[in-house]
Amino acid sequence: MSDSIVVEDLVKKYGDLTAVAGISFTVKEGEIFGFLGPNGAGKTTTIHVLTTLLKPTSGDAYVNGYHVVREAQKVRESIGVVFQDPSLDDDLTAYENMYIHGRVYGIRGEKLRIRIDELLEFVDLQEFRNVRVKKFSGGMRRRLEIARALVHEPKIIFLDEPTIGLDPQTRYHIWEYIKKLRSEEGVTVFMTTHYMEEAEFLADRVAIIDHGKIVAQGTVEELKSMIGDEVIYLKLGRGPSNGGSVPCLEASFIKECRQLRPGEIALKVGNAGEAIPRVIELAKEKGWLIKEVRYKRPTLNDVFIYLTGKDIRESEGEAGEKIRHIIRSRLAR
Amino acid sequence: MEALSGFYVMTYRQLKKFSRARSRVIGTIVNPIIWVLFFGLGWSGVFNFPMAKQLFGGVDYLTFLAPGVLGMTLFLSGFISGISIIWDKQFGFFKEVLVAPTSRVASIIGRIFGDSLTTLIQLLIIFALLYPLAGSLSLMGLIPSLLIAFLSSMMFSGLGVIIALKMRSLEGFQLLINLVMMPTLFLSGALYPITTMPYWMKLLAYADPLTYPVDGMRYFLAGTSALQPTIDVVLVTAFTALSLGISSVLFRNTTVE
Repeated sequence: MSDSIVVEDLVKKYGDLTAVAGISFTVKEGEIFGFLGPNGAGKTTTIHVLTTLLKPTSGDAYVNGYHVVREAQKVRESIGVVFQDPSLDDDLTAYENMYIHGRVYGIRGEKLRIRIDELLEFVDLQEFRNVRVKKFSGGMRRRLEIARALVHEPKIIFLDEPTIGLDPQTRYHIWEYIKKLRSEEGVTVFMTTHYMEEAEFLADRVAIIDHGKIVAQGTVEELKSMIGDEVIYLKLGRGPSNGGSVPCLEASFIKECRQLRPGEIALKVGNAGEAIPRVIELAKEKGWLIKEVRYKRPTLNDVFIYLTGKDIRESEGEAGEKIRHIIRSRLAR
Repeated sequence: MEALSGFYVMTYRQLKKFSRARSRVIGTIVNPIIWVLFFGLGWSGVFNFPMAKQLFGGVDYLTFLAPGVLGMTLFLSGFISGISIIWDKQFGFFKEVLVAPTSRVASIIGRIFGDSLTTLIQLLIIFALLYPLAGSLSLMGLIPSLLIAFLSSMMFSGLGVIIALKMRSLEGFQLLINLVMMPTLFLSGALYPITTMPYWMKLLAYADPLTYPVDGMRYFLAGTSALQPTIDVVLVTAFTALSLGISSVLFRNTTVE
């Protein structure tokens, strides 16, 4: 697998304000990369640089192997973008919106028509093909925007806060489409979000950004294991060999084993997901009967608090952002 | 080839959007009709005395006013459509175009071209309504007049784009509209002749880009004009080229804030 996006020490300043303060990361081909951080952390600025809309103050960025400043044209040809702000023409139909996009990208005729219908099918909007967008719900608009960004078969798609302002159910629905993007269209996805559960559900790897700096990056599992151990709780029935009392399990991957009450033990491990099958195997060897397995792991939010000292939600709700949300939800109505 | 595609599709978009925005279509046609009926017919009662025609170069007031109303329409329609790019800028479509690999110059010219075509359609409708009302409009003069109208509509649309690209927020929008639109209209000679204006006002009138399309169209439609029609046509063409040039360069070099 090669790298789809390579960012090296990227800095973007607006006058005295430093929006992005020297970030580096790579996105591998075919992965969903989540850029997680509160509003104003520099996420959108990063997307604007990567999509050639802004020139970086210093540092380099390559998208699909092309330099975002020196080879901007090549970058533009190979990417699809869904911006945070709504960008559909309300008075035009779903088909017309996609048609305009396709023509802008130099696709035409039968090829364009087939591609549009294929994509409308992909986001389940085929029956609304000739309906004006002003009648669409917020979720339908988002789906159409995603479909539109795919018309020219980009290798990478950028999604800036793809589910902002949507209700939880619609959000989940959009997530399913984003997963399908990779599995069916085979594109690399770079997305920004300030929703923990979004990054957790979708992203193969996550970079956490705060005040223009990446404070941590890795898989969700890796990030969580940064802040400590996971705990497996076992409820045991009477096994043939152990009679009434339950002694503890001992193994190299178990950091600590405590009996909580008769028949229930807690095991501290590094990674519960990997440890559980081994624990079950060990228990089987001993002839134990396992009635229930539970485990508790730190959430991404715990990781964020650990790294930045604040809850991601606390940093939400800047006035300007709020107004944008209101405008967005009005437009979406 | 690719550039043509950007031009074509932006023209397509503006025409489609116009045809769908029914209120905009009705508004742009109703507005000039109100001017002609209430303003025009009102004053043509006043200018009903012998020799009154001499004030307006030998034609009745409605015939004099008709090219002015056409000029007013192309100015308002062109300018507003150009400046409406600020809405695209405020929301997402602007970025859509900026992030596309297509030629930005072709896109913006296509947009202006499309808007000017819609203006031309409005002008044709208004002319059809004016023709029976005004005493002696020339049908033959319609073709050169529409040519002038199309060019100057692109000029004002380009001007609108330039202003919109330079504006950072929507706050100054209303103020700007009043500050630019009213004087441009009153100084252009659309409603009354330039020839009888006080000297200082005449100077301002000559600096007004709307003066020349109005005067040129008046020459071809009403058979009277304050300036040489050749001068009108040359200046309209020059202003249009300048406006398109500046708006193209600005749009090509634009970035998001």
